[in-house]
Amino acid sequence: MATRNALRGRAIWVYSGLVVGGLVAAFPFVWMLLASFMTRGETLRRVFTPESVQWANYYQAWKEADFGLYFENSLLVAVVQVLGTLFFSLLAAYPLARMEFRGRDTIFAGILATLMIPETVTMVPNFLTITWLHRTSPFPWLNSWPSLTIPFMASAFSIFLLRQFMRGVPNDLWEAARIDGAGHVRFLFQIMLPLCRAPLLTVGMFTFIGSWNSLAWPLLVTNTPDWRPISVGLQQFVSEAGAEVHLQMAGAMIATVPVLFTYFMIQKEFTEGISMSGLKG
Amino acid sequence: MNTRTKDQMIAWGFLSPALAILIAFGLFPIGYAFFVSLHNWRIKKDAFIGFEHYGRALGDGQFLLWFLIGLVALGVVARLRQMDAMRTGWLGWAAWFLYVPALWILLSWGLSGMLETGDERLYNGFKVTFFYALGTIPIQLSIALGLAYLLFKSLRGKGVFRVLFFLPYVTPVIASAVVFRTLFSPHPSSMANRFWEFWGFEGQRWLYESRSIAVVILQAVGIESYPEWVDTAFPSLALVSIVLYNIWVYVGYDTVILLAGLSAIPQHYYEAAEIDGANSWQAFRHVTLPLVSPTLFFLSMVAVIGTFKAFNHIYILRTPGARDSVDVLSIAIFDQIFEFHNAGYASAMAFVLFVAILGLTFLQNRMLGKRVFYGD
Repeated sequence: MATRNALRGRAIWVYSGLVVGGLVAAFPFVWMLLASFMTRGETLRRVFTPESVQWANYYQAWKEADFGLYFENSLLVAVVQVLGTLFFSLLAAYPLARMEFRGRDTIFAGILATLMIPETVTMVPNFLTITWLHRTSPFPWLNSWPSLTIPFMASAFSIFLLRQFMRGVPNDLWEAARIDGAGHVRFLFQIMLPLCRAPLLTVGMFTFIGSWNSLAWPLLVTNTPDWRPISVGLQQFVSEAGAEVHLQMAGAMIATVPVLFTYFMIQKEFTEGISMSGLKG
Repeated sequence: MNTRTKDQMIAWGFLSPALAILIAFGLFPIGYAFFVSLHNWRIKKDAFIGFEHYGRALGDGQFLLWFLIGLVALGVVARLRQMDAMRTGWLGWAAWFLYVPALWILLSWGLSGMLETGDERLYNGFKVTFFYALGTIPIQLSIALGLAYLLFKSLRGKGVFRVLFFLPYVTPVIASAVVFRTLFSPHPSSMANRFWEFWGFEGQRWLYESRSIAVVILQAVGIESYPEWVDTAFPSLALVSIVLYNIWVYVGYDTVILLAGLSAIPQHYYEAAEIDGANSWQAFRHVTLPLVSPTLFFLSMVAVIGTFKAFNHIYILRTPGARDSVDVLSIAIFDQIFEFHNAGYASAMAFVLFVAILGLTFLQNRMLGKRVFYGD
């Protein structure tokens, strides 16, 4: 009996700690949701819930503050970047994980070293490179999707995560495939690709978040609303329209929904994939 | 063509698109940034000026030289102390005192002169980045370790809490930072002020407050006169608010990774500890902590590099009222590009930042890397 009571006492401590953590984590979301439905006056008073739900805030943010356009831009850029990153990282990770060739470990170390380079260092030269490409290539780069996606289509983190996973795939599969006459290309796309579902989803989610968050670079390479992503749109809206808190929150909700929706769809694979990244292998 | 050469060609073919992008937009820019930094460069390339930008940023060359000599001296002393003869006995103790002159050269002959003659923006950026790292990393790792431990112990609801803790990390930074801007606004209706005044304190200016947190506390308890260093030796309240945001975002990520680290500890270690009569604190201290230290080390490395890269949320959370008290290095560099259109000088500052990151990563590896227990 005594041990059961002790156990129950400990469980109470464990759960109250977790609940407090959960409340702190969730509180800003609750506030964002509630404030996005308030009137302007309500955001300035000390209320916590809106008297009646103001759907009009969303309409106003979407239409008048142009969040509709920015949202489309961000979505398009994110999709292009995710697909490109997945394809190139899959291709690069395979030989690093499963093939023998000269200089393999050096190249892998070199790829990992690029993780230490901060964006602020590469920003100026990359901007110069992009303006040069803009002038010389047959299609425009500035104020368009290539400058927003192509430079980020190879990420060291994605390659690293996929390589770690591929190394764990038993070699018997390769032996069997080779006996059946498959080469590396067929093995990668027919056997490896379906096996890599979880790490691919993780890498895709990370790329999606990264693309959705990027702010400094789009500020540099877009100067018209045509390709302005939602991050830049929201940042400028906040710095210009000072006190329109209810519209800011509606805009923030619009910016949050697609990411959280994707996260809830794949959260199991995602948390597992992330957990893997912290372990040695 | 034999299979070996064919394999080589396939390998390089697979690698080449990713490598081309990484080289063009990741490695080549480092050399290019250095090239740009040696020129007057606003919209277009102008005259070659050598290391002038670095002089403007870091300060007079002679001070930089003394600073580097001090660094080398510190390195030599550290190396001396590793030698067998120095480990024990009076020689080892004597070696400790060699740190004093080395540090003296570094700080008083080098750094103080650099601070005086160099760019205030750059050194302020280093200071703010240092405050930022010190305010976030230890706190967020401790909270995360606590939460991960609780999650590990909880029998039910593990999945729900894990999803909940992870939400702040996956939420778009731009959205959550905009929310925090209203939560920590100086307006009397902001959540921070409601909470603060609930405990009987006076409302604060939060993200708009450029005075240091120490000054704010002193004034809250009614002390109006204080020496000037109280304002400069502590982070501003605005920076503390940003630190709170950062902790809110990353605790969940750290928790999930630490939970994976905890789950990887074999159960029989705990059983052995229990047989030896260890209580739960002793089990935590002598089994959990050492075995989870590689994960902690990994997270602290990620966090240090992340501190130097931090940009998006600070750019959104910074206010005119906070002045330069929240301008970490990456913000100061971006201002040079975006506000002053000074690509040449921005590249020089960025290069200094890059060297600082390399140095810190190296140091962290040398100092912490050895204490990490990787098991057998």
